[in-house]
Amino acid sequence: MESFFSRHRNLIVLLAVLLAQIIGLAVQVRRPTREQAASVAQRLATGSLRDQGGVMLLRLWAAGLVTPPERLFHAIDIGAVHLWSGYLDLVHLRGQNQQLQKTINQLRLEQAMLIEDARQGQRLQALLHFQQSYPGKTLPAQVIGTSGNLQSHLLFIDKGSADGLRTDMAVISADGIVGKVRDVFPHTAQVLLINDQTSGAGVILEKTRIRGILRGDANGQTEVVGILADSRIQPGEQVLTAGGDQIFPRGLAVGTVTRVVRDPDSSAFIDVILRPAAALDHLDEVLVLTDLQSELPAEMEQDIAASQQQQGAAASAELARELARRKAAEELAERLPGLTDPNAPVASGTQSATQPGSQPATPPPAPRPIPTLHPDRFSPGYDANSGAATDATSGSTPAQTASPAAAPATRPPASGQKPQQRSQP
Amino acid sequence: MTGIATDYRRELDIRRYPLAVYVLVPLAALVLQAWLPRLLGRFAYFDLPLLVVLYFSLIRRHPIHGTLLGAILGILQDGLTQGAIGIHGVANSVCGFLAASLGIRFVVENALLRVAMNFAFTLLAELLVVFVTRGVLGLEMHWNLLAQVLVAAGNALIGLVLFPLLDRLQIRS
Repeated sequence: MESFFSRHRNLIVLLAVLLAQIIGLAVQVRRPTREQAASVAQRLATGSLRDQGGVMLLRLWAAGLVTPPERLFHAIDIGAVHLWSGYLDLVHLRGQNQQLQKTINQLRLEQAMLIEDARQGQRLQALLHFQQSYPGKTLPAQVIGTSGNLQSHLLFIDKGSADGLRTDMAVISADGIVGKVRDVFPHTAQVLLINDQTSGAGVILEKTRIRGILRGDANGQTEVVGILADSRIQPGEQVLTAGGDQIFPRGLAVGTVTRVVRDPDSSAFIDVILRPAAALDHLDEVLVLTDLQSELPAEMEQDIAASQQQQGAAASAELARELARRKAAEELAERLPGLTDPNAPVASGTQSATQPGSQPATPPPAPRPIPTLHPDRFSPGYDANSGAATDATSGSTPAQTASPAAAPATRPPASGQKPQQRSQP
Repeated sequence: MTGIATDYRRELDIRRYPLAVYVLVPLAALVLQAWLPRLLGRFAYFDLPLLVVLYFSLIRRHPIHGTLLGAILGILQDGLTQGAIGIHGVANSVCGFLAASLGIRFVVENALLRVAMNFAFTLLAELLVVFVTRGVLGLEMHWNLLAQVLVAAGNALIGLVLFPLLDRLQIRS
């Protein structure tokens, strides 16, 4: 018996193992009775069919045995993927990084160029609008350089004598005056800015109408000199070109008064410090006034013509009134040369001329002097030959209308009555 | 074919391995069997626990060891499924026993012989699983012969690489 087991030990162990597992399987999958079939089917349908305790324990062991390494593998997998993608698989990363950096730099450059183009477009639009609205002939020019010296405030523009530029032409911008052309070369020109110490322009303060000379100081500030101390000058006042320097036309913006300081050379004068209207330090485009006596635009000419027409009608009416006044004064002077002042204005004539429908050529009756009781040679209208006074209104002598003896018997005529009628008995 | 005589087997030393190999290699096979399908998807045509059972059974040439190892690994395999525990245990036990029995009679150092044995035993294990499931337990089971053949082929190829690697872990006296 012992030899049988020892001889077939392997096979017996196999059968035992198999038998144990088959029994275990049979226990797990044993067929339910008819009464239990319905409940088992329902549990299978609802997924609530659970294993028995031993089976659950085996599953727990299997899961507990496998899942920790799986978790470790998963972590290693994640780490490996991260390590590979983040640190190892970076063969082309440097090249891509350089390429992207180049792209970023190029895009930044393009962005800066676009921004600059947009700004330049806005400036040119404003300059074009100003050029179209400005009556004088202008030539746009680009600022291409500076003098490079702090003591010399100069600009170089890209237009020269080939473009029609000459010295002492005014250079302006849409904001205000910039300077004047100092030297002209074939294709470039040198512009002396208004804040240079050697520049000069005639300016006038807008409100106070005080004139002065615009120039720059050692610090590059723009100031108006040659002004007597005047308390009316306040910061914020606008300064315009006066037009007397034959360079800048009258009325262009120069700047704004920022402060007033006393002239260090003379206590009687003051220096008015300005903030230039044009951005002298950031100029890119300017306009050169090539002709100050240019023709006006059609719209402006129409406006001026309409204004002149209105002014002409008013002037003709005023002229007619003036003529009427003069005529009335002349007639009064003829009739009453001793009472009337030829230089004095005639109020009645003015009033009648201003009334609608009146005839300015027919003067009203002049006031009549009281007849002289005993005329002599000093009386108005005294006739030395007849020895009687003549009527001032009719021009005839009293002897022609009535006897001199009867004249004193008459009362002084009322206003508007003729002496002939009064002298009749 | 090299060495198929029993006398020749007696002349060979029985290979021994560190205890960690007996523990870690089956455990690694179980873990990899559960983890690699996540990466390979439906192309996971292999059965690593069975391959480990076959290797240790062939090398150790001890049917009882092969049977027990097959039963344990099979039960653990079943424990990771929703099915009844013991189906793979029965199949692996039988395969382990047969592999160890063959190892007593044959020396399987040849690579082609190993490939053939792996293919055959894997296919046998799959057939046993189907037999136990359908025949013994009377449960329904859809069976795809091509998939089983591919699993057997996969085991044969993996064994071609895995067995030499495991041979390096033996203790040489």
